[in-house]
Amino acid sequence: MKTSRLLKPIAMAVAGITLAGQAAAFELGVVAFQMSSETHARCANAVEARATELGWEAQILNSNGALQTHAEQLDNLIQKGVDGLVVCMSKPVEADGQFEAAKAAGIPVISVMSGSSPHTLFDIQVNEYGVGADAALYLLGMINFRGNLLVQRFEANAGTRIRGKILDSVLSENTAVQIVGEHSMARTQSWREDVRNGMQALILQQTGNFDGVWASFDGQAFVIDDLLLAAGMSKGDVPLISIDGGEEAFRRIKDENSMMTATVSIPFEEMGTAAVDAMQAIAVEGVEKETLVPGPYMFMNAVLVDASNVDEFLSE
Amino acid sequence: MNAKQIIEKYGTLLAGVAVFIFLAIFANNFASGANLLNVLKQVSFLSILAMGFTFALITSELDLSFANVCSLCAVIIGFLIMSDVHWALASVVGLIAGILAGMINGFLITVLKVPSLIATLGTSAMANGFAFMITGGVAFVGRWDPNFLFLARGKIGPIPVLVLVMLVALIVAVVLSTQTKTGIQLQATGENEEAARRAGINTRRRKVLGLTISGLSAGVTAILLTANLSSAAPQMGGDYMLLAIAAALLGMTMFTPAKPNILGSFVGSLIIVMLSNGLVLLGAQYYIQDIVLGIIIIASVAISATVLKQAAFSL
Repeated sequence: MKTSRLLKPIAMAVAGITLAGQAAAFELGVVAFQMSSETHARCANAVEARATELGWEAQILNSNGALQTHAEQLDNLIQKGVDGLVVCMSKPVEADGQFEAAKAAGIPVISVMSGSSPHTLFDIQVNEYGVGADAALYLLGMINFRGNLLVQRFEANAGTRIRGKILDSVLSENTAVQIVGEHSMARTQSWREDVRNGMQALILQQTGNFDGVWASFDGQAFVIDDLLLAAGMSKGDVPLISIDGGEEAFRRIKDENSMMTATVSIPFEEMGTAAVDAMQAIAVEGVEKETLVPGPYMFMNAVLVDASNVDEFLSE
Repeated sequence: MNAKQIIEKYGTLLAGVAVFIFLAIFANNFASGANLLNVLKQVSFLSILAMGFTFALITSELDLSFANVCSLCAVIIGFLIMSDVHWALASVVGLIAGILAGMINGFLITVLKVPSLIATLGTSAMANGFAFMITGGVAFVGRWDPNFLFLARGKIGPIPVLVLVMLVALIVAVVLSTQTKTGIQLQATGENEEAARRAGINTRRRKVLGLTISGLSAGVTAILLTANLSSAAPQMGGDYMLLAIAAALLGMTMFTPAKPNILGSFVGSLIIVMLSNGLVLLGAQYYIQDIVLGIIIIASVAISATVLKQAAFSL
């Protein structure tokens, strides 16, 4: 009895402090377009981690790659009255009405790798054109600007489409390199199967006739890596180059039993963290958006990672 | 009507009301006018698809193609509008595409005797392929006629046009399925095809009609989705496949238990969207929503299993 009498006021005080803390906490809505994609998840999880560090409440929603679900989730968060929104790999054209509604409701929106919108504060991006050029030139350098390529594209996403166009542009200046087989990933939900089927056919068809492989993002490269190994190839036989970065890509670049040669690493975690820090500055501290990011984009640097520098990126 | 019968007929509805009251009390802003309109707008897409699916199910046939047919209709509309065809004509062509898809399903099932599960999976794959063929995987975006966008984003007075379209669809579907000779023949066909045929009902035609209405619903939803998102993408209807089936199955647990019914499908859609909205307002993380949806599907299938098996496998 004595113990409970002692504990009761302590519990009430703790509850009071907790409730007061909750009432004051900044409420951040985070919407990732497709959490099953590693890059979307990395972005959203980084946003959540940084928000939690700041003592904020972060609620992550996953649109499962569906445009209407994405729009509805944004609508729901606006109705909830969140204090700010961070969207990872969003679709500003399709969600234009929702971003406009958020702006009207006074909810600041920062997007990551989504593209700009007149209704959001800004978009955190790497320069996809530069990223595409880095990957393309590295691959051509690896084959001495001569030979045949297998190419795995993804045209439905603006970023990966740009990377493919830059590859085409680089190839137009380097005519001794030709694409002998290419597959364009069409599906977004069963995309691994799509890549596996398409590239397996090309690898079989072009056995001994290709000198390098280009993939529009690392997830595709992982599937191709496994296919090339299954076809009896080993590291160094042909370079396999892709874009995105991340722990698994770095591990494969380091691994002698993988074909993965290089990636252009996009700092998704840093982007997520930067989104929260910018939200803190603008929405909490009242810093003018223009002093932080003058235009529609906050650009971050992407780094080419290969065997020469992969150790710097691998976790302990 | 005793308590057991009341629970059998209205148990799910009462559970939905209980969820509504719970959310109204515990989820901030849930019961606000703006949010309730938001919920109704969101339910419009799902309920129209679910009602169409229910018409096929009433005739004891399963239409698994409606989601991809919806996507195909959307990209046809998008393609035509981006090719400077008037939006009204483009929309009509989209509706015709949906109707044609339903009629093809009907032909495969009633004339070629392909089980509906297989036939509609086949047309679903074909619709998906055509949608990618038209778009090359890249969504149609650009300048849309404001009159077209009004179909999904406009309001008449305080009421969103989407909600009005949904209510009209609901009324027409309920009247057609319960108050007309055609509706009664659809139900007779589904409940006992042989008996219906001996009673002089052209069961083949009724099945084709049920599947055609499902295709038409996909076309209507395609127009609304395209206008709402200012975009026509090759898999934009895909996400509704599971949800619409879940709504129809949930609907079979109320009003006329173990029988597909339009009003039940509408309430089922409402419960799913209300829960989805409420969970966000309660602060639930994304994985909780999938778990809740899974529970709803399992529970409703468990209750409606007999009818579903009959539709899917003619058991």
